Amino acid sequence: MYFFSRFYKKYPSQKRIKMGKMNQIHEETAEDRLISIELFQNIKEIKQKFPASPDLVIHQFTTGLKQTRVALVYLDGLTDKNSLNNNILRPMMYDSREVNETPLPTISSCRTVSSWRDVENAILQGESVLFFEGQVEVRVFDTTGWPQRSIEDPQLESSLKGAHQGFVETGVQNIALLRRYIPNLELRIKEHIVGRRGKTNVWIMYLEDIAHPEVLKELEKRIEQIDIDAVINTGELAEYIEDNRYSPFPQFILTERPDSAVSQLLQGRFVVVVDRSPSVIIAPATFISFFQSVDDYSMRWLIASFIRLLRFLAFMIALLLPAVYIAFLSFNYEVVPLQLFLSIAESRARVPFPPLLEAMMMEIMLEMMREAGIRLPAPVGQTIGIVGGIVVGQAAVQAGIVSNIMVIVVASTAIASFILPSYDMGTAVRLLRFPMMLIASLFGIIGIVIGFMTLLAHLVALESLGTPYGSPLAPFRWQDMRDTFVRFPLWSMFRRPESTRAIQEIRMGRKRSKEKDS
Amino acid sequence: MSKYAMNGITLMQYIILIHASQVGTGIFSLPRQLAETSGTDGWMTVLLAWIINCLAGWIMLLTLRKYPDFTLLDLLSHLFGKWLGKLLALPLIIYFASFGLVIMVNSMLYIKSWFLTKTPAYLVVLLFAIPSYLVVRNGLRVQARYIELVFYMTMWMPLFMLIPVGEGNTLFLLPFLKEGWLPVLQGLQKTVFAYAGFEILFIIYPFLQKKKYAIHGFLIGNTLTLLYYLFITIVCFIFYTPDGITTLNQPVLSLLKNIEFRFLERFDMIFLAIYLLVVSKAWIIYISCAVFSTAQIFKKQDHSIFSGIYFLFAVASVYVMNPTWNQSEEWTKLLSKAAFGVMYMFPVVLYIYVRGFEMLRRGKTG
Repeated sequence: MYFFSRFYKKYPSQKRIKMGKMNQIHEETAEDRLISIELFQNIKEIKQKFPASPDLVIHQFTTGLKQTRVALVYLDGLTDKNSLNNNILRPMMYDSREVNETPLPTISSCRTVSSWRDVENAILQGESVLFFEGQVEVRVFDTTGWPQRSIEDPQLESSLKGAHQGFVETGVQNIALLRRYIPNLELRIKEHIVGRRGKTNVWIMYLEDIAHPEVLKELEKRIEQIDIDAVINTGELAEYIEDNRYSPFPQFILTERPDSAVSQLLQGRFVVVVDRSPSVIIAPATFISFFQSVDDYSMRWLIASFIRLLRFLAFMIALLLPAVYIAFLSFNYEVVPLQLFLSIAESRARVPFPPLLEAMMMEIMLEMMREAGIRLPAPVGQTIGIVGGIVVGQAAVQAGIVSNIMVIVVASTAIASFILPSYDMGTAVRLLRFPMMLIASLFGIIGIVIGFMTLLAHLVALESLGTPYGSPLAPFRWQDMRDTFVRFPLWSMFRRPESTRAIQEIRMGRKRSKEKDS
Repeated sequence: MSKYAMNGITLMQYIILIHASQVGTGIFSLPRQLAETSGTDGWMTVLLAWIINCLAGWIMLLTLRKYPDFTLLDLLSHLFGKWLGKLLALPLIIYFASFGLVIMVNSMLYIKSWFLTKTPAYLVVLLFAIPSYLVVRNGLRVQARYIELVFYMTMWMPLFMLIPVGEGNTLFLLPFLKEGWLPVLQGLQKTVFAYAGFEILFIIYPFLQKKKYAIHGFLIGNTLTLLYYLFITIVCFIFYTPDGITTLNQPVLSLLKNIEFRFLERFDMIFLAIYLLVVSKAWIIYISCAVFSTAQIFKKQDHSIFSGIYFLFAVASVYVMNPTWNQSEEWTKLLSKAAFGVMYMFPVVLYIYVRGFEMLRRGKTG
């Protein structure tokens, strides 16, 4: 029925909704059934609910003076054995011989539930559930403990002077990492659950007195609207909540660095922590924010500014250099001075291909090498670099397939695209290079200008969570220029950026530092 | 709040919009046209035209100030009734639309003669249409952002004009007013096309967030254009002899030919290619004014369909007509006349009518 209704889109939808609703109601009544008073009944039910689960443990024993029969149920592997043994089983089985009443386990988080749905969820989340004979209420202990990675240096965004702790796969720990930076009550966390089957916890973190409530509303609305099976990774979630799905540009910053996330929080942005994923979303993002790195703020401001300018230059080179090469060689050669043109012509004399083909070949080769380098284990990856870069490049020139100049162009493009601190922006540039090359080969310099105009038009219209992506360039904001092309000294950046629409504009503590000076 | 507030533009954007709509392709031939009619006193014509424009804009704003939330169409239907208002707005929309088209055709001709000599004309216009459509289909705020960004990105361009100034001769400017005021006044009509653009006030005024600075913003924008034109005209007049300049079709481009670097020959080509960005500002704002008003006539919130139709129409018309320099010159002349009407006569008539309209209504109610 469902299968066919997918094809006949006109009238099946209502029927489907109805059936879905009926199913839901049915499910709800089934799952909200209450716990039975009989223990053996409950155990039977549990066994029915978890049919093929060899990792389910049902541990039955007696406790207290009255020798009450109880059953502890948990999933092996998702629970912390240590706290189970020491904090639940030991007090209940051993210490409670002389105690009259039902003994209490010594565990920090404990709650009582009475519906099967809660029990199931608790067990699946890694909590342990304790059934009592003759009671309709069930104790749930937080004994979660699953295989975890220790906190390590962030792999994707290494930094020289930033902290060396990166996010891990446990959402709660990521929140803790952020809280360590801002021990402030204004740091608020809103919890949402995404995914019908995956039930991933998603936390929106923000500073209540800085972040704009409208942006929060928009963000929450979008997260609530997601209706899917499961969210595995932060990148997936980002794709579901972004503004423009056809844009090559990343519309959220995905970072695995707590320190950069915190600096964004302080600027008035939102951090979305996704459980089971080692990176967080920072929203709303602007185009410029992909050029900022944590190191910028811990270096001397002159040097940081220089490096930042270098990044913008690198962006332009990575985007346009191959296109300019093609345009100058195949179209507008009158622009190139004679001396230079002669030396290019000399090196190209043996090359039988038009510039576009030559450039495409080398660029695609380079992309392949780059991708191969990622997939291979680290020691082999370096070999790829040597084989690809030196051997293939040199041999291609000697064989007369590409010119020397082309190798230089491709290599500098590659280096330029590596300078960008954000991997996502780097990939966007990598992709955009190809249409640029194509249009340059068709229309020369004018093609490049048109391509650039199209890019500008797209950037200007793009928004991230309803805030302009091009800000602070378009719309132009003078105040934010302090942290755009040049990083001004930190003491002069006493305002939070306008691009984030922060409601508290002035950073705290400026007055105090003034008093100290005088 | 007015219904245009959520698409509001800042004062800076307003200034740049006015400036951007004025500076287009007219600048290339302006020095020659001025030299032809008013000799080396042409720069005074630019100044004089600026004063007139300021007055005209002031009158426009006097009218608009009374109806801060009305666009042109709202205003006309308020004054003349629903149907007559729409009918009156129609020629203005056509004016905006054809102005945009003529700017595009002009730039197409430049591009064709300098870069893509063998590319068919409609293809070049199609190239222009792609980025323009991406901008125009959005709200005015996006257009303002685009124009603002391009403005800041191309601010350095006039500075390159300073390079050849050293070889010029300031004596060419002297003596002032050698033939009296008459040639200076005669040159005024040549500046109409170059200065045309501030009539977009009728459309963008309701979007301005801080209305009390409207007149200041307009004056600044207009002065920016003046400085631009004055600078270019004087540089051209200094560099070329008074007779030599009239023999050049586009003295500004010829001037650029003299700039040469050791690492870059033919700098003028690159300059002209990048100048395309500047010109795109002008046609984008005109087209968006036309498209926005059309959508208003049909009472549609979203004008992306109309902008798509416009660009299709533009490409198709260029394909059919395959315009030449002479045709474009004719159209420019025709449009200059229309611009004269829209910029100087229409605001005055409208202002007088509004005054009368208000007095009449006050008489009725009082």
